[in-house]
Amino acid sequence: MADDRENYHPNLIRMWRVYRTTKEMCRDRGYQMLDEDTQISLSEFAARYGREDGEPDRSRLHFSCQPSEEMMRKYTPPPSKTEPDPKPDIGNIWVEFNSDENVGLKQLRDYMQHLINGSFYSGIMICMKPMTGMALRLLRGAAGIQEGPKGGVEVFVEQDLLVNITKHELVPKHVLLSREEKDQLLKRYRLKETQLPRIQVTDPVAKYLGLRRGQVVKIIRKSETAGRYASYRWAI
Amino acid sequence: MPPKSILKKTAVSADAPPSARPVNQRHLDLALHHANIIEQRKTVEQQVLDAILVLMDFPTAPNADPTRPSASDALCFCESVIPFQPADYDSLIEERNIADKCGYALCPRPKRKAPSRAKKHFIDTAKGVEIVDRKVLEVWCSDDCAKRALYVKVQLNEEPAWLRQGGYGDKIELMVDNAEEHRKGLPLRLKKGAATPPPPKEEDIAAAWAARDDALADLAIERGETPGRLSKTSKDLIQERIKERVASAPPVPPSPSYGPLLMVIEGHVPLSRSNRNESTTAEKGDDEDEDDRDWDKHLPG
Repeated sequence: MADDRENYHPNLIRMWRVYRTTKEMCRDRGYQMLDEDTQISLSEFAARYGREDGEPDRSRLHFSCQPSEEMMRKYTPPPSKTEPDPKPDIGNIWVEFNSDENVGLKQLRDYMQHLINGSFYSGIMICMKPMTGMALRLLRGAAGIQEGPKGGVEVFVEQDLLVNITKHELVPKHVLLSREEKDQLLKRYRLKETQLPRIQVTDPVAKYLGLRRGQVVKIIRKSETAGRYASYRWAI
Repeated sequence: MPPKSILKKTAVSADAPPSARPVNQRHLDLALHHANIIEQRKTVEQQVLDAILVLMDFPTAPNADPTRPSASDALCFCESVIPFQPADYDSLIEERNIADKCGYALCPRPKRKAPSRAKKHFIDTAKGVEIVDRKVLEVWCSDDCAKRALYVKVQLNEEPAWLRQGGYGDKIELMVDNAEEHRKGLPLRLKKGAATPPPPKEEDIAAAWAARDDALADLAIERGETPGRLSKTSKDLIQERIKERVASAPPVPPSPSYGPLLMVIEGHVPLSRSNRNESTTAEKGDDEDEDDRDWDKHLPG
């Protein structure tokens, strides 16, 4: 393995790891994903996405995913009187690997426009370096803008995706609860949702799972005395 | 008969809506006051972002000349940068550079290209050869544009727009060659005073009142109360009437005390001392003299 890696450009290896983490992230969120995709080997990756000079070709890495049945069910709010047949709050996602050195308002707006044109529900943009401050400001306010896609845009930096953080032994398992499960939980413990402990949506794992404000995650930890211990967090 | 609950009967269950306690008006006002300040700040930030989005695509004409911008462009530029802080202006330049344009918003040309893609460059300047970042080199299309853009930057107010008071600093001057044109583009304000005949007396009075109102408005601005904006000191939070704390009885000076009472230590009269005082007032002076020499009594020699 070690001498195998020496044949490839470091940037290509880097990109391979980012790509795999991204695929795993989409799978963990519940999008349809083949196992071969998340376990793509370096040699195959190099053959498919490498350029002749050994650098990865980011423009060929983009992909889109569809949510699985289970994910659709999870994101569908329970039917109410006003809305007897609710639509799931999730849809196709477009993942783009930006190859520009600096990403600013221009790229972000183009990306949003692309999402709208392709009628994608949400998008993930992965850039090489952190975005400019103004672009982040636009992103923060993007939930309220009409021009953006419904599900919003998430931005990751390549460096943050080199390693899949959820595989670390100190990171417990996070499971997103559906609206129904959340209601059951609140009923069972006779709580208001504001009485739950909280997790920030900027938390690394919350970002990995793409949590939205108001959702509840179940965190399952190992416990020496009880075997497993579950706690709940309200995303804020 | 169902088993009786041993739990306390709670008046409100956890799910019930919060009880209709009368809200404390002062707390409500305070919360609203601070919420409004945050809201105002958000509005300003949004305004700055919108301005940058517009100015990124400036100038409107592709063949515009940065030295002689069109009047409409210049006016729009001046108005949009008023809420900017210098840092916001830097972001504008950064965004324009990413879009491969000259940092000066009124210049349509692309930014200058550094001679090579190296990170640092040797540049001949008046002070000699300097090592400069490539990024710094590729900000402007020419030194002239840099000068014009920085001419605007130094006029910007360092204070964030949501904290600014009163109406100063909201006039940005451009460095342009066709200044007369821009002045002509602005709404003309002619002086009528000399042309019109002296008005009748009633109008005179009305004018005086109007002048007074104007002066009051000016004063309000000076105080920082911009019309249509929240002032920093909300009037609602200050009580209109100041209540004086009235004392029920006039203050009484401590009653003068003489004689033995003078020796009272926190209400306690040391007995022996007071007795001795009474009996030996005459000898007191001698006593003290003796006491004063106490210290060398025991010394040898």
